[in-house]
Amino acid sequence: MSDKPAGCLQIADDLLAAALGEAAPGAAHRVEQHLATCASCRREYQGYRAVDGAVTALRDEPAPAERLARSLERLETRLADLRKRLLVYRIVPSPLGHILIARSELGITLVEYLDRGTGPRASRLSHEPGVELTEDGGELEAVAHELLEYLGGRRKRLEWPLDLRLARSDFQRTVLQATAAIPYGAVIPYAGIAQEVGKAAATRAVAQALRWNPLPIVIPCHRVIGSSGDLTGYAGHRIGLKQRLLSLEGVPTAKHAGAVAIAPREMYALYPGEREYCLPTCPSFETHRPAPLTRFASREDAEAVGLLPCTMCRPDLHPISH
Amino acid sequence: MSGDRFETMVSAHHGEIYRYLQRVLGRPDDADDLSQETFLRAYRAYRSLPKDANVRAWLFSIATNLTKNHFRSESRRRVAYGEVRASAPAAVGPAPEAELISRETGALVEGIVQQLPLKQRLAFTQRKIHGLDYEAIGQSLGCSAETARAHVFQAVRKIRQGLDGHGLLSEGLER
Repeated sequence: MSDKPAGCLQIADDLLAAALGEAAPGAAHRVEQHLATCASCRREYQGYRAVDGAVTALRDEPAPAERLARSLERLETRLADLRKRLLVYRIVPSPLGHILIARSELGITLVEYLDRGTGPRASRLSHEPGVELTEDGGELEAVAHELLEYLGGRRKRLEWPLDLRLARSDFQRTVLQATAAIPYGAVIPYAGIAQEVGKAAATRAVAQALRWNPLPIVIPCHRVIGSSGDLTGYAGHRIGLKQRLLSLEGVPTAKHAGAVAIAPREMYALYPGEREYCLPTCPSFETHRPAPLTRFASREDAEAVGLLPCTMCRPDLHPISH
Repeated sequence: MSGDRFETMVSAHHGEIYRYLQRVLGRPDDADDLSQETFLRAYRAYRSLPKDANVRAWLFSIATNLTKNHFRSESRRRVAYGEVRASAPAAVGPAPEAELISRETGALVEGIVQQLPLKQRLAFTQRKIHGLDYEAIGQSLGCSAETARAHVFQAVRKIRQGLDGHGLLSEGLER
C-alpha cells in the first residue's frame, strides 16, 4: 500500500500526463492547483519533467550516418533480389476450373489451369527455383475480372503487360511472341508459326514450345492447330478446353473419327503475306504454292485486324452462311 | 503503389526505423538485420495496404512485431540483455561539466530503458522518441490505446525512479 495521501494518489496519472504535456486542459488545471499545495507532488512533477528533458535530448541525437548508409545499401541489394523473385498470385474460380494468375513488377508472368488442387501448392510455381509467391491483396482484381469477362464472351482482348521470364529458351520466347499476335477468332497451323519465326522446318519444336506456354489464354496457343485442322494438344491433353476457347471466339469445330478439328469450309482464309482475306474456295489458292493458311471465324474478325475482302472471290458479296 | 513509390518509402523511413530498432534492441547488428527484414516484409505486403493507410505507423508495427519475435527466443534474450549493459553509450572526449551531466543522464536513461519490460520499452520508445500516437502504438503492440498509454506511463515512472536512485534528479532540482 502506498503511504501517499489519497488526494495525491487520485491525481497521480494526471500529474504524469501534465508533466509529459499530455493532460487535457481540465486535468492540467487540477494538477496545477494540487501542486500549489503539495511539495511532495511538486518534486515528483519536476522529476518527470527532468526525465522528459533527458528524453528530448536523446531524441535529438544525430543518426549513426555511416552505419545507416551501410544498412541502406545492403537493404537496396536485398530488395533488388526480392523484386526479381517475388510474384503476386491470385486464384480465380472460372468456368474452365481454377486458374492461377501471377504477376511480377514487369507484368503477368503465369496463367495456369490448376488441376491438382485449388491452392498455390498446386501451381508449377511452387517448384520453380528462384520464385517467391505472395498472395494478391487486390492488385490482380482487375486482371481477374477481365479474364472472367473474356471467358464469358464479353471481352475480346486481354491487353495485359506480359513478363516472359518463365519461357525456357529464347526460341520459346520468340514462338510465344508470334503466337501472341494471332488475332481473336483466327486459327493458324503450327507450321504457320514456324514460318513466322523464320524456322519453317521447326513445326515440332513450335508445338513443344507452345506445350509449355506459361501464359495460356492471353498468349492464345489455343489458336494454333494441326496442319489437318485437328485441335492437337492443349494444357496436357485437354482438347476440350481448347475447343471451348475456340467456340467462344466463334471458330466452328466438329468431331470426326474421334478427333476434334476446325471446319475449314466454314471459315475465311488468309494466305501468308497477303492483305486480303478469301472464301475457302477462292480460285487464287490454285495459283499459289501450298502454304499454311490463317483462318478466320468471321469477316468482322478479319477486318478488325485491317484485312480487306478479296477482289477475286468477294467474300463481302458472298459471305459464308453458317 | 509502384516500385518507385516503395523506394521513396524506404528513403523516407529507413533511418527512423533503424534508429527505433537500435534503441529497443540495443545492438546495431540486430537493428541492421531487423530493419532489413522490416522493409522486405513491407515490400511483400505493401500492395495490399489501403491507399489512406498511415505508412509510418505500419512500418513501426512490422518492426515491433519482428522485435517481439526476436526476443521470444530465450537464448537471444540473454544475449541481448548481456550486450545492453556492455553497450550503454559512454561520454567520449573532454566536455564541459553541464554537458557531462547531461550525457550521463542520457546514458542512464538509455540503460534504464533497455532494462524495462519489452512492451514498456517498445511503447516508451515509440511515444517519447518517435512521437507516435497511442492508437498506432496500441496497434503495433496488439493492445488498446489506453493500455499503450499505461505502458508509457509505467516506463516514465521507472525511469524517474532509476534516475532518482542515482541522485541525478535531486541534483538537477537543487540547481
